[in-house]
Amino acid sequence: MARENLNLQIHLIQDELLVMGSMVEQATLQAVQALKNRDINAARLIYNNDRQINEKRYAVESAVLILIATQQPLAHDLRLLAAMLEISSELERMGDYAKGICKVVINLKDIELPIPVKEFELMAEKAVNMFHRALAAFVSEDFQTARAIPADDDQVDQLFIQAQHFIVHTMLEKPAILDHMNLLLWVAHNLERMADRVTNICERTYFIATGEFLELETEPKDIQGD
Amino acid sequence: MVENQESTRDYAISTHDLDIYYGNFRAVKGVSLNFEPRKITAIIGPSGCGKSTVLRCFNRMNDFIPGARITGSVLFHGENIYDPKVDPVRIRQQIGMVFQRPNPFPKSIYDNIAWGLKVNGIRGKLDSLVEESLQQAALWDEVKDSLGKSALSLSGGQQQRLCIARALAVKPEIILMDEPCSALDPSATLKIEDLMRTLSVNYTIIIVTHNMQQAGRASDYTAFFSMAPDRAGVMVEYGETSQIFTNPRNKTTEDYISGRYG
Repeated sequence: MARENLNLQIHLIQDELLVMGSMVEQATLQAVQALKNRDINAARLIYNNDRQINEKRYAVESAVLILIATQQPLAHDLRLLAAMLEISSELERMGDYAKGICKVVINLKDIELPIPVKEFELMAEKAVNMFHRALAAFVSEDFQTARAIPADDDQVDQLFIQAQHFIVHTMLEKPAILDHMNLLLWVAHNLERMADRVTNICERTYFIATGEFLELETEPKDIQGD
Repeated sequence: MVENQESTRDYAISTHDLDIYYGNFRAVKGVSLNFEPRKITAIIGPSGCGKSTVLRCFNRMNDFIPGARITGSVLFHGENIYDPKVDPVRIRQQIGMVFQRPNPFPKSIYDNIAWGLKVNGIRGKLDSLVEESLQQAALWDEVKDSLGKSALSLSGGQQQRLCIARALAVKPEIILMDEPCSALDPSATLKIEDLMRTLSVNYTIIIVTHNMQQAGRASDYTAFFSMAPDRAGVMVEYGETSQIFTNPRNKTTEDYISGRYG
């Protein structure tokens, strides 16, 4: 096949994205565990490791720009490279969500408060599961799977609403820990946003495979419900 | 001085303050450049900036042009190839060249390779050397059943790969390519570029190309040449191709690669 070098370089970048993806998965699951166990040291470690995710993002960005500048990619190659720029930035932001959860763990110190651990764990598990399948669909350019994944976001949204209710209810009951409970709202928000970003990755996969931009987003559901 | 020569031995070719003249006209001036071994280096720049002149100087092809001479040095394994003791024929065997237009001999495919070997005094095992060269040039599968056919019956792209096979047959270290794809269509061009990539595992390749995009696609390092006000060619910038094409240090290079000059 012609253009072996370009194909090889594209695959190398794809591999980097997958490595970055598994770093994000790990960071997310570990961040929720650190919250569950109130393990500040673990949280600090994950927080600091986010730098490596950011560095990977710049490495991917730079490699993509070099390929665009030197290889004149067109059609499918060009869509793939453009999508990889986008996806690397999604992954970087997802890493930031995990980092944000760790920041909450650190800020909560050893203050006693009720945490909707079960909801958080399930949200993280479901979001990571969606994310994992979205990356697999991206690599195999399986646009039909990519199109189906965002529907699972509903489950994460449902858990988000449950966690939110619990947190708000606790805030009303115990105004003394309102500020700290507010931090937990951010944890819920971050996990919910993570699943939203999976949708963006699926949209990119659809674009790579078909050349069409398709909005896969379902109804916007955020804290204010607007 | 000895130390300096030692340090140049890591490079495939090193030029030091190279000036090239045609009679009184200085066509190229002040080129000091080290070529990385087993890498592809592209020389790019606008017409008349001395790219081909520099390339031809690396295997003493300019010797054939009356009045051509150089000052400075061109070191190959630490030896100045313009030293009077040096045999230019030996240099051309170690530093081969592929030209702009494919120029096979009007002989069979087989003879095109075997002749070069015979001329260089290589006897015996011709069949296997011919096959090996054609394999390396990614042409074997297409011609193995028609080795007796005229080389002129091949397509342009195949002829150019035959010329590359012919250059490889005498086991050079360096292959100079002077616009090797300018007479080829895009698909044959990409085939030659893939072949260059494969060959660069074992050979140093220096390519002059008008086609800047080709330099981007096919090379590891890029040297950008331009013309000084006295019309002498000068090297403006040299670096990794990825750097030259994304973040050139020099404004003239930037203007050239982004299509604003030259």
